Amino acid sequence: MDAAPDSASVPGATGLGRSTASKPASTRTRVGAPTPRKPSAKTPASRTVAPKTPRAKPAETVLDIKGLVKRFGDTIAVAGVDLKVETGSFYGIVGPNGAGKTTTLSMVTGLLRPDAGTVSVHGVDVWSDPVAAKRNMGVLPDRLRLFDRLTGAQLLFYSGTLRGLSEETVRLRTADLASAFGFEDALNRLVTDYSAGMSKKIALAAAMIHSPRLLILDEPFESVDPVSAANVTQILRSYVESGGTVVVSSHSMDLIQRICDHVAVVVHGAILDSGTMASVRNGRTLEERFVELAGGRTSVEGMSWLSSFSD
Amino acid sequence: MVEQLLRLKLRLLGNAFRRSRWRVVGLVLGLTAGLGMSIVVVTGLIGLRFAPVEAAARGVEVFGAVLVLGFVIVPLVFGVDDVLDPRNFSLYGIPTSKLSSALLVSALLGIPAVAMTLISLAQVVTWSRNPLSVVLAIAAMPVIVATCLLCSRVSITVAAFLLSSRRSRDSAGLLGFIALAAFAAVFVLVYRTDWLANGGAVLARIADVASWTPFGAVWAAPADAASGDVASALLKELIALVFVGLLWLAWRQLVGLMLVTQPRLAGARQYHGLGLFRVLPPSPSAVIAERSFTYWIRDARYHASLLVIPVIPFLAMTPFLVIEVPTNILALFPVPIMALFLGWSVHNDTAYDNTAIWLHIASGVRGQDDRLGRVVPPLVVGVPILVIASIICAPLYGNPGVLPAMLGVGLGLLLTGLGLSSIGSAAFPYPAVRPGDSPFAAPQAVGTASALIQGLSFTVTIILMSPTLWFGVLALFLPGFWAWGALIAGLVLGVLFLWVGIRWGGRIFDRRAPEILSSSVRN
Repeated sequence: MDAAPDSASVPGATGLGRSTASKPASTRTRVGAPTPRKPSAKTPASRTVAPKTPRAKPAETVLDIKGLVKRFGDTIAVAGVDLKVETGSFYGIVGPNGAGKTTTLSMVTGLLRPDAGTVSVHGVDVWSDPVAAKRNMGVLPDRLRLFDRLTGAQLLFYSGTLRGLSEETVRLRTADLASAFGFEDALNRLVTDYSAGMSKKIALAAAMIHSPRLLILDEPFESVDPVSAANVTQILRSYVESGGTVVVSSHSMDLIQRICDHVAVVVHGAILDSGTMASVRNGRTLEERFVELAGGRTSVEGMSWLSSFSD
Repeated sequence: MVEQLLRLKLRLLGNAFRRSRWRVVGLVLGLTAGLGMSIVVVTGLIGLRFAPVEAAARGVEVFGAVLVLGFVIVPLVFGVDDVLDPRNFSLYGIPTSKLSSALLVSALLGIPAVAMTLISLAQVVTWSRNPLSVVLAIAAMPVIVATCLLCSRVSITVAAFLLSSRRSRDSAGLLGFIALAAFAAVFVLVYRTDWLANGGAVLARIADVASWTPFGAVWAAPADAASGDVASALLKELIALVFVGLLWLAWRQLVGLMLVTQPRLAGARQYHGLGLFRVLPPSPSAVIAERSFTYWIRDARYHASLLVIPVIPFLAMTPFLVIEVPTNILALFPVPIMALFLGWSVHNDTAYDNTAIWLHIASGVRGQDDRLGRVVPPLVVGVPILVIASIICAPLYGNPGVLPAMLGVGLGLLLTGLGLSSIGSAAFPYPAVRPGDSPFAAPQAVGTASALIQGLSFTVTIILMSPTLWFGVLALFLPGFWAWGALIAGLVLGVLFLWVGIRWGGRIFDRRAPEILSSSVRN
């Protein structure tokens, strides 16, 4: 995997990458072309074209969050979050449990009505023009059910058709996604019989099937095995390189540090620091910086009994 | 160990009161119902003290056996959420014998155990007739409580084994439903038996048999002593004690087995291709209809409502059967009643999706597409059922000429009900049984709100259809024109109300989508 990260055979990658119209990249088959599995000469070539073009022109803001607030009774879950995410960035959101990551992302994706603040996606306000704004977003929520009495193939077909894709497109993309995420064998089983990691993967696939501009993924790597996680990361990277934008939340600092170029640290419903990975890390690892921001570690004392083993 | 588990059980009971308000209301209702029923039983048993020995014996034996059987059957059919599942303790390394007795003792802290203790006390009063009967009745007290608790523990554990895979859970709910339907049939039979003439004899025979079974023996022993039959009293006491001993052994074995058994993995079935999704040309409303229909086929919760449809008319007719309304008048009932329930069946459909509804919201599905898709399965299922039922029932009434009127009323009620359901399931979704739970499991919060919504949707459907109903009634007495009038009125008004319902419900869905999701998250 390390040897050739970019030319790695991720069959779905080309089909999923968003190629903004009018880019030279758009000449390649956008959808479901059965890309050969072997690392071909074409893939790296199209890659060198695609990532440069969006970065050459001034980056535009694809996600703009202003003053987002959510209260549940007396508790303030999100206390005024402002965040700008530029096109082509891989944005990580990290925070301790209960920091308000999921609440924030739910308000961004139109699933939870904010008490105050605005969210706009690609210049369209999510809460005043939801239909247009949602078209540009692919969503993976955390801890919500799937329509799990459908088979994997049916769920992907359902998700794709709800997004207005044609039958042919859905069919091709389903095949691509299945081989990219490695669930070809599971396509004909009911989602309710899937393992946790498998459900996560099918949900992730459903979030991408309409090739949105912006992917909002809440804990996409939770309970996903390392091999699949590497594949998913690979797919997301090439998606970002071809101009897509990913916002991902996670507990895993290592992972975020490795895959993201921007990061926001959320604690108690507020963003304590955000920006490029380098500026937030400021010479340390993300984990060290995070622990410092989140209030430091509690010194572990009085646990000496743990080392005197009982029988 | 015992003390710790007792404290855990108390804490769990206490915490139940710290959940949401509706759950507390449900819990209090449950407590009151349990207490109320045991008070009724207790007064009954005390009253039987003054009845002749034979009558009291029959009553106590039959009732007691049914009660004990209930402890066996209810967990099997309804599935019980067992907080003290032995498997929860498998990682603590507690010796099996210690754990099984501790779990049993902690089961004493609970509504069923308290109710049974009260009842077993009351039967001592019933049998305070001679020294031996008092002694045996007092001896029966712990045996009764132990029998009931052990029966329910063993039954819950066996259910946990049998029902550990999703598919068997799905079919168990259905079996339970069929059992209930059979029970309803037995009820009708029982009701029709001429009790005044030969009821006593029937009851005596049942009591005779029951008193020798392990379920009834413990109740019968003091009764036999009271009537002077010492030998059979002692024998029955012995049967009861042996039964408790066997149950105890079974329970210990089961606990030992549970501790080392992994939850069974479902043998996942393979499906092929897209199934129903191939039927209609793809569009959001078409796939929603196809998804919905797939759920009607695969999801036990929908099976339950489908199976209720043919049974409901007979249940509703029972009181009329009892007061002996002529059969040909009864033939008028099934079609409108089934139509009413079919239309009503999706009035909380959005809540059935639970949080999976996020997909519709995040995908920006238009509310009216969502509404339209959901009414397709009940239409596809309902229209043929109503047509066939009308063709059968109209001649049974004795006048095939009422067929158009019957169709008009039936289809009109169905369409109108679906229209109202489209509005209701967007405007007032209330907690429903969650996906994968037993269709008869009580939803988390059954409140006054849901009862109000259910009642309201029935009433409004009938009010909206009143012109058609009126035409239908006229068609019974006047020839020709009115029957066709009812058909036309039913179809025109029904289609109109359905259209309005889908449009209006769609607008509500568009406006309230995040709130619908929030309410399902709370469920």
